[in-house]
Amino acid sequence: MRRPGHRGLAIGALATIAALLISSCGAGGRPEDGEGGGASDVGVTAESVKVGAHFPLTGVAAPGYSEIPTGTKAYFDYVNANGGVHGRTIDYVYRDDAYNPTNTSQVVNELVLQDEIFAMVGGLGTPTHSAVLDFLNGEGVPDLFVSSGSLLWNQPGKNPQTFGWQPDYEVEGKIIGQYVKQHMPDAKVGLFLQDDDFGDDGEKGARAYIGDQIVAAERYAPGNTDVAPQIAALQAAGADVVIGFNVPSYTALSQLTAMRLNYRPQWIYSNVGSDPALVGSLLSRFSEGKVTDAAMLDGAITTEYLPGVDAPENPWTRLWQKVWDAHGGRGELTNYRIYGMSQAYTFVQALQAAGPEPTREGIVRALEEIGGELRGPAFVPYRYSADSHAGLAGVKVVRIEGDATEDLSQVLVTGNGDTEITEYTEQHAGPPQNGIPNVQPAS
Amino acid sequence: MQQFVNITLNGLSQGAIYAAFALALVLIWRATRIINFAQGAMAMFTTYLALTLIESGQSYWVGFAAALVAGLVLGALVERIVMRPVEGGPELNAVIVTLGLFVAFQALAAILFGATFQSFPAPFGLRGFTVGEFTIAFTPFSVFVIGSVLVVMLALTALFRFTDLGLRMRASAFSQEVSRLLGVRVGRMLTLGWAFAAVVGSLAGLLIAGGNLVHPAYMDAVIVYGFVAAVLGGLESPGGAVAGGLITGLALSYVSGYLGSELVTLAALGILVAVLLVRPRGLFSRVAERRV
Repeated sequence: MRRPGHRGLAIGALATIAALLISSCGAGGRPEDGEGGGASDVGVTAESVKVGAHFPLTGVAAPGYSEIPTGTKAYFDYVNANGGVHGRTIDYVYRDDAYNPTNTSQVVNELVLQDEIFAMVGGLGTPTHSAVLDFLNGEGVPDLFVSSGSLLWNQPGKNPQTFGWQPDYEVEGKIIGQYVKQHMPDAKVGLFLQDDDFGDDGEKGARAYIGDQIVAAERYAPGNTDVAPQIAALQAAGADVVIGFNVPSYTALSQLTAMRLNYRPQWIYSNVGSDPALVGSLLSRFSEGKVTDAAMLDGAITTEYLPGVDAPENPWTRLWQKVWDAHGGRGELTNYRIYGMSQAYTFVQALQAAGPEPTREGIVRALEEIGGELRGPAFVPYRYSADSHAGLAGVKVVRIEGDATEDLSQVLVTGNGDTEITEYTEQHAGPPQNGIPNVQPAS
Repeated sequence: MQQFVNITLNGLSQGAIYAAFALALVLIWRATRIINFAQGAMAMFTTYLALTLIESGQSYWVGFAAALVAGLVLGALVERIVMRPVEGGPELNAVIVTLGLFVAFQALAAILFGATFQSFPAPFGLRGFTVGEFTIAFTPFSVFVIGSVLVVMLALTALFRFTDLGLRMRASAFSQEVSRLLGVRVGRMLTLGWAFAAVVGSLAGLLIAGGNLVHPAYMDAVIVYGFVAAVLGGLESPGGAVAGGLITGLALSYVSGYLGSELVTLAALGILVAVLLVRPRGLFSRVAERRV
């Protein structure tokens, strides 16, 4: 009989190490060092400004979201090719956290301590970014434009470095709630919620308007892909309208499960979960199961705050298309890439406002001073001020028709808590001629 | 009432999937006396092969068959190349190697097939049957899943109970030296055990994927629940594995539907601990007749 001893162990160890090596190859950007004069703060040299972000490039939240940083990068490359900001190019490093908060802490540590970034731009996810909120604020790193609609990012007293960007889920929930109240006053409403701040904030907003119409609120734990018990409960409660605050893969799962149960409520999905192109591609292969691709989301209601790929004639979409054609990587322009480009556009505005010698303190102060006046790709303005780090102020309600959308409401704006919902009437201006903002340094 | 029926039926079809996976674990346990943590990752890998074929325009069944054949080959290769050097030594070595394989396969799949979600087609309808005015959570595909699991269970029972081959496989697993003296070609038996187990694993992977979304880690939850099912059934009997799978599926579906989806993994852990405390050899194990 053979004695395994060292040999067996060695092979075991070898296999494990090889596995770890292979798996670590998936990580995102590569750190680069750049030293030079004109450095006004960490991450700033005479030639460049280094910014970073964490995104789920693999795993349950990767579909769609992993495209965002490719859009951001394309726009930064476009700006760099056109002379940069105050003569500096923007050096963008993003890393994979797989939507796992433990990984987020690790990659953000690397970004701040090893890559020495000037600021975070667009780090994605509520559970993930919560894990690094204290660290970033403790280190004094500007934590700009978190890619999540949680209310957590708007606490200027506690987290002075952190700024939200997209409309928060409470604002979105309020506007959806008001729409349902006005247009479907007799409907029985069910809620399909991600079991964290995302679902909670959305529920809070919706309940403010339709608390008496809600007959069931079902929560799913992200990662558990069997949502049949939740959908069956909504069906049993007799909900004929279901509002989902969920990520895109769960939009697909909820549609699949509802098909299994022959459950056909009016679906309303929050903006983050409703990209018709993505959900359609997730569902497209079930045609043998008698389903035809994107048509599955036909008639579903959602919200919008950016012109997307379904409006190719919009001047903003034309700009994004031009940027993507020139600087994009593989693949088509998608709404997720537009989201990333729009965030990048906002960051360029902020960096211009921070002046020719940008500092971490300066960019935060500049955003507080002039952030509310910035106009860009979004239909609505930001709510930035010294007292508010909340992002965009509202959305419009739309219906999905094939790959496009049809407006159901005006552009509506509101705030958190009891703030009323009002129509926003300012004309949405197109982008500047050269596609690069021109914001004067704040004070 | 309709909700109860639907949650129950959903539990049964999920349970059948856990059972399929538990069967693969039972098979490899009886044939080689180790627990293969890479089972799920290997199944994921062959499922992706099927998906690649289907994407290239082949029919579902071509992909299906190819995945099973690929499972057979992959299982045999893994045993010959990776496991052979650590077999016959302390069991822990072999188990640790399977853990390493698990990570390696997952990483390799992410590199080869991409890490994003993709939908996997189903060969049968995904709409529930209609009973009276109700549509129940039971689809033609669920029937296929449960049917396949029952066939595999019967085949395995027959293999181990009635065939000479099954006896030789069991003997090699228990005592390599004695078996070899009795003329059993132990190496060949071990290879065969791995190959068969990988086929059953591949089948489980295909059944889980059908009409659902796949990504390199999609088997992770199933590995855990399938393991609970196998332990519940006692790791020895195919029938026990199926019963364990169905019990696990039902219990988790009720927990998810009536208590909350966030408690599902906790409930699985609870079941595992309870079984190990009360009936450490599983609900369906016979008395400890052959402690080695």
